[in-house]
Amino acid sequence: MTDEIDLSRLPPPEPYDEARDKAQRKRLLDVWRAPPGWKIISAVNNDYIGKWYLLTSFAFFTFAGILALLIRVQLAVPNNELFSQSLYNQLFTLHGTAMMFLFAVPIFEAVAILVLPEILGARDLPFPRLSAFGFWCFIIGGVFVCGSIFFGVAPDGGWFMYTPLSSNPDYSGLGADIWLLGLSFIEVSSIAAAVELIVGVLKSRPPGMRLNLMPLYCWYVLVVAGMILFAFPPLIAGDLLLEMERAFGWAFFDPDRGGDPLLWQHLFWIFGHPEVYIIFLPSIALIATMLPTFAGRPMVGHSWIVLSAVGVAFLSFGLWVHHMFTTGLPEISLSFFSAASEAVAVPTGIQIFCFIATMLVSKVRPSVPMLFAGGALAIFVFGGLTGVMVALVPFDWQAHDSYFVVAHLHYTLIGGMLFPLFAGIHYWYPFTTQRKMNDRAGTWSFWLMFGGFNLAFLPMHWTGVMGMPRRVWTYDLTDGWAVLNMVSTLGAFVFAAGFAVLAVNVLWPRGKQPPVARNIWNAGTMEWSAEVPDKPWGIRSIPYIHTRYPLWEQEDLMGQVDRGEWFLPDAQEGKRELIVTDILDARPLFVQRVGGPTFLTLGAAFCLGAAFILATFHLWTITLIFGAGFAGFTLWWLWTGTSRIPETPEKYAGRGLTLPTYAQGNRSPGWWAVFITMTGDMTAFMGLVFSYFFYWTALPGFLPSADRLPGFGWLLAGLALLFGSWAMTVAARGTLGRGQRGLAMALLVGALPIGALGIGAWIWAAWTQGLDPTAQSFDAMVWMLILWMGLHLLLNWVMHLYVAARVKFGHCTPEYRADLMNLTLFTHFLALTAVTTFALLAVFPLLMGVGP
Amino acid sequence: MRHGSDEQPRHVTPPGDAPRVVDQGSVWILVAVPSIWAAHFLLSYWVAAIWCAKAAPMASLVEPRWIIVGLGVIGAAAIAWLGRIAVRRYGGVFVIFEEITESSERGRDRFIGHVTLLLCVLSVVAIIFTVIPGLVFATC
Repeated sequence: MTDEIDLSRLPPPEPYDEARDKAQRKRLLDVWRAPPGWKIISAVNNDYIGKWYLLTSFAFFTFAGILALLIRVQLAVPNNELFSQSLYNQLFTLHGTAMMFLFAVPIFEAVAILVLPEILGARDLPFPRLSAFGFWCFIIGGVFVCGSIFFGVAPDGGWFMYTPLSSNPDYSGLGADIWLLGLSFIEVSSIAAAVELIVGVLKSRPPGMRLNLMPLYCWYVLVVAGMILFAFPPLIAGDLLLEMERAFGWAFFDPDRGGDPLLWQHLFWIFGHPEVYIIFLPSIALIATMLPTFAGRPMVGHSWIVLSAVGVAFLSFGLWVHHMFTTGLPEISLSFFSAASEAVAVPTGIQIFCFIATMLVSKVRPSVPMLFAGGALAIFVFGGLTGVMVALVPFDWQAHDSYFVVAHLHYTLIGGMLFPLFAGIHYWYPFTTQRKMNDRAGTWSFWLMFGGFNLAFLPMHWTGVMGMPRRVWTYDLTDGWAVLNMVSTLGAFVFAAGFAVLAVNVLWPRGKQPPVARNIWNAGTMEWSAEVPDKPWGIRSIPYIHTRYPLWEQEDLMGQVDRGEWFLPDAQEGKRELIVTDILDARPLFVQRVGGPTFLTLGAAFCLGAAFILATFHLWTITLIFGAGFAGFTLWWLWTGTSRIPETPEKYAGRGLTLPTYAQGNRSPGWWAVFITMTGDMTAFMGLVFSYFFYWTALPGFLPSADRLPGFGWLLAGLALLFGSWAMTVAARGTLGRGQRGLAMALLVGALPIGALGIGAWIWAAWTQGLDPTAQSFDAMVWMLILWMGLHLLLNWVMHLYVAARVKFGHCTPEYRADLMNLTLFTHFLALTAVTTFALLAVFPLLMGVGP
Repeated sequence: MRHGSDEQPRHVTPPGDAPRVVDQGSVWILVAVPSIWAAHFLLSYWVAAIWCAKAAPMASLVEPRWIIVGLGVIGAAAIAWLGRIAVRRYGGVFVIFEEITESSERGRDRFIGHVTLLLCVLSVVAIIFTVIPGLVFATC
């Protein structure tokens, strides 16, 4: 079945008319121009947000790097007492935390927000205001977490915050709360970015760019954003459990009350291991994008690289226990994870071989980006090989928690992530600034960093094998680690000097230099079609793409784009417009209007940040006030900025193509965003389900006797009511579609008390049986599942009232009802959560023979 | 087939995304193959974990061993079946140097078929990796 518009047989463009071109350019410029002066902070365009994101991430990188230097100074000589042990704990914890959460993951989002739309030949991502919101959340949360060290209350439990050290407030102070709440907040912004990027890749491709023509960078972004969606939520679930234990004494990790500290390790590493690949793949994507440019030919084995990205994404979720080889799990379990850790080397190796093959079949132009890329491969392969070593259980038992592991992880991360990123900076600098970086300084910075890195980290393999534990504060001369540590410290400073050269090279004012030539590297991907000097509109007109490397393979594409011969060359209505296409073949579906500059996202991020920060200090009243502020700003933002009914149902997009100006349901980006967000939400819920079964497996007496179980009848009644509430929402979608606005509103509002009665029945079921979350892990788990459902219902109620109001005020009509369709999708997920919770609370104990 | 979530303001356009992704059966196959590996991996892990926790600590692994082998065979068979679909319906072929750059629906299908076949091989290899320790270990 094909309803395709044959894009290759479009009518020819209208003849060039200079006056028309000028008028169109002026209108586009007016629409896309950034706000002047200080109001620039309200900008939402990906050019600005991407650049700010990038600079902020690098600021955190520099901060965490300085912490690393302090660590190295402390370890330079034996018996050093430069820093107190307590401060040293904070130094290494914050170094790891900031590098991982404030640099490595956000930099992926930063680069993607900056270059993805341009590689796709799109004007912007589908939710520019969401990107802005994510960025402001990131900077607020990051400054809060990093700033804590200046008050001596930085987290000090190591970057993986193991319980029971972190769950017992006697051992860990405010730092652990700062870590938990600050990072949960930043994880929210990562998930926001992931939603944005997935929808961007799936729905914002230029017309004609089918899945088989999509650039490799986009495949990597899609895969990595998908991984974030499945990796981050379990940690959010873990954070929630840990913070409930710290703040309210719920029994999750305390063995005396039926908890288990190992649960945290599972939840953390289900996040933590995929995270390594979440960091690594986007950087490899940068190499995969620039290598064809310097090789002057398409990548060898395009499908093989897609295979390896998808394969790594899946396999990387089967590795988490290899961080827990020494925790006393059954050896047979360990061996499964050891096997998977070996297996992941296969797809990882495939992409490296594809790179090497591409270089072998062509003559690679020498350049600074390729220098960094080459150094990256060398270092990464070395780190990968030690990775295969520590994936073997007996070897890991020897090397675990020693400096060998420190050396291994820095080889993989610096080789796999940092050096490719530096290559990317040199490569895309002319794209972002229209100036070129100094090659001589670039070469210097490379050799300083490459040499310094190996000098610093190679000796750590030996110090590790000689028995030096990681995170140790100081050591004695008789340990025999002194010389190697001194070498590492020297190497660290050489590395830092190299980075300083790079930083100066990037930040050097080049305003007076002439701009670079257009497409300076003679690349084949769309981002290099940008005009020099740059224009804020992203692309002059959105072309039809039918090749993998359009600038190489589609003749005069740049000229056609510049002359406005393709789609949406104008902005007559004064609105920012994108073309939304379909997932498989990028058929144009409709013209989407996106939001312009606004302070609403800033307000929302500020209030949410304040709420998280105040919760750290347990100031619940003000926390609630700011939480309400966040809700207010967000609703205002949604009300004024989303699902606007267009002034005309269709518009002419150029080249004989007329497209709708509104879409709802599964062809609108909003629907997919809800679907993707809720998938992440279900993953967090699955983290709770996993916890329940973990307790049941690990603790013989987890399920209590029948008289301590929540009442079956009440649970069943609650489920029926929750289902009723869901059915009413679904019915509202149908009734509104048939034009019965009043009935639809009644159903939407009526669903609220029904849902309230449902959750009330569940609370009653647990309450009457005297379940006490501070007494037993089972009780805590039951209350946590009910709390989870309750929080979602609360959100559901706000959304019901919002949509009912939209119907009332005519923003959501029988014909244009995107809001209600999205709400229905949300409630489908809620119904699934309710069924699962019921199965855990009522059915499973019954099956295990402890029910009534 | 029109889905409830694909009712547009003006019914003039071809079907949207979900109908194509679901009914035409296009991209799910990419995800399905490694998902079988994931399901097999998790099942093996759970079987072993529950066996070791609920039976005596040094319980003999004879029975779960055959469960794990059985799971491995089922997983490999399911992947082989998907590989067959990738060849038959998508026209996927197993080639080293691919150039599936044709701009057509068929080209897109063949590309997905090719990647799926590659994923089939990788997933079967990964399943074998998981089965091997199940054969070697005699106790928990």
